[in-house]
Amino acid sequence: MIEKYGTFFAGIALFVFLLIFADNFASVANLLNILKQASFLSILAIGFTFALITSELDLSFANICSLSGVIVGMMIFNGLPWPLAVVAGIGLGTLAGVLNGFLVTVLKVPSLIATLGTSSVANGLAFMLTGGVAFVGRWDPNFLFLARGKLGPVPLIVIVLVVVVGIALVFSTQTRAGVHLQATGENEEAARRAGINTRRNKVIGLALSGAAAGFTAVLLVANLSSAAPQMGGDFMLLGIAATLLGMTMFTPAKPNILGTVVGALIIVMLGNGLILLGAQYYVQDIMLGIIIIASVAVSASTLKQAAFSL
Amino acid sequence: MSSKIVMKNIFKNYGAVQALRGVSIDIKEGDVHAICGDNGAGKSTLIKILSGVETPESGELWVSNSARKFTSPTDALTSGIATIHQDLAVAPRMTIAQNIFMGAELTKKVLGVTLLDKPAMRRDALGYMSQLNKSITDMDTKVEALSGGQSQAVAICRALRWNADIVILDEPTAALGVRETEQVLELIRALKHAGKTVILISHAMKDVVAVADRVSILRRGENQIDLDAANLTADALSHYILSGDRDSRAA
Ligand SMILES: Nc1ncnc2c1ncn2[C@@H]1O[C@H](COP(=O)(O)OP(=O)(O)OP(=O)(O)O)[C@@H](O)[C@H]1O
Ligand SMILES: [Mg+2]
Repeated sequence: MIEKYGTFFAGIALFVFLLIFADNFASVANLLNILKQASFLSILAIGFTFALITSELDLSFANICSLSGVIVGMMIFNGLPWPLAVVAGIGLGTLAGVLNGFLVTVLKVPSLIATLGTSSVANGLAFMLTGGVAFVGRWDPNFLFLARGKLGPVPLIVIVLVVVVGIALVFSTQTRAGVHLQATGENEEAARRAGINTRRNKVIGLALSGAAAGFTAVLLVANLSSAAPQMGGDFMLLGIAATLLGMTMFTPAKPNILGTVVGALIIVMLGNGLILLGAQYYVQDIMLGIIIIASVAVSASTLKQAAFSL
Repeated sequence: MSSKIVMKNIFKNYGAVQALRGVSIDIKEGDVHAICGDNGAGKSTLIKILSGVETPESGELWVSNSARKFTSPTDALTSGIATIHQDLAVAPRMTIAQNIFMGAELTKKVLGVTLLDKPAMRRDALGYMSQLNKSITDMDTKVEALSGGQSQAVAICRALRWNADIVILDEPTAALGVRETEQVLELIRALKHAGKTVILISHAMKDVVAVADRVSILRRGENQIDLDAANLTADALSHYILSGDRDSRAA
């Protein structure tokens, strides 16, 4: 009980604490803002979670998100139809993930190293394409609606999150392809001997991470109506922390979709609360570091296995 | 009887180690064929080749009279060969049912979408398990919580689930107590009765003579002796393995 839901209840306690003690935390505008920020983070971190389910670390998702965002911004800025830019952004992210998968499964570069490399390449390309400055402009309202729109009182982005989470949840726990990802991560040799194509599954895990990064990039660009070369960078630690914190709940020590979403909510809420409580900007970084380490310490985790296999 | 599996002149090296040096073996359909030999004789290596886990340097493999080249475990499984490896290859943090159905999960259609049929897998897993160990009833238990013998039962159930023509068991009784061993032997007899071909690797001479029809002895990666197991005693078999002496066959 504690093992499965401890962190979850700690998150609720944090929520109640902030409701009572943090001025303005309880305002509708603030709560909606938290929900929205947590939605971006969740979608991004769900991708990372899929890679981690196959026991591979993707350290490139944040910079791939930046690069995809820059491509989306550049295409729209240059007058191309925005749906095309959306497809290109998601496609580029997916392709980058497939490249990671190729490096890991064919060239046998450990994912920690391979994705560190592609991360740096993506970062460099993002700066190259922008010349270091953001694409900004007055963009098609239909495109901006993706992230800023509302259906009634509910932000569209929250609905998008619910759909993404629903699909990811069913896929990861209720389909053959989903449990094959898990089997691949849990015991690659056992999975291989059971006739599962473990290489393909690792490529799929990393490709999903890239696809999520591309999709999040689209949403972020629509939300900001700008595309800056470092726009995804801050999400790296946040996304990893959300996933690892998520591993402390529901199915302890295993990366899981619901855990990641709750983890993202807790982390965004914490960041927001700290600011409202008047904490200095650097406190959040310190907290994130502690969350990352503590989460892995409490779970005899897949991540440890991944690190050992290097 | 016709040959079910024929291996001719198989060579396999691990780096400088010559694990198999020209092994040939002929396994008849419907037989329980035991492969014996001292530690490091090459038994598991031979099994890994038969199950597609390793590929040999050279040699021929025939299954049901057609030549095969296995490049992955899937190839062997689709040729009707299911294997319980000596190291079991279970995923400790997954459940009994998940392990038994790994790679061959049961599904059902829900609103046109193919989803896992978890109740059916639990039910069928329990069915397989009850043939081996009636004390394990919760198929949602993680395998890491099981004893060595119980994990072995999970690995055996996984092989049964493929419903293969040919079942290979590499040291299936090594971690088992007396009663569990008897159940595995009973299962081997049942497989034979159902018309399957069984390959059994074992160091337990008593088990081998109890169920085997034929015995092949390997020694340092080469064939040593092929024996008819009828009238063979455990002591005589030990003697053959230790002496490696063809001429003592008459003894
Ligand atoms: N992956 C490997 N890498 C290097 N050498 C190996 C490997 N697997 C087996 N060997 C070597 O190949 C030879 C045959 O090993 P194998 O496991 O087939 O023997 P075995 O007859 O199954 O022995 P046991 O009765 O101990 O299970 C041994 O010398 C072993 O050390
Ligand atoms: Mg062996």
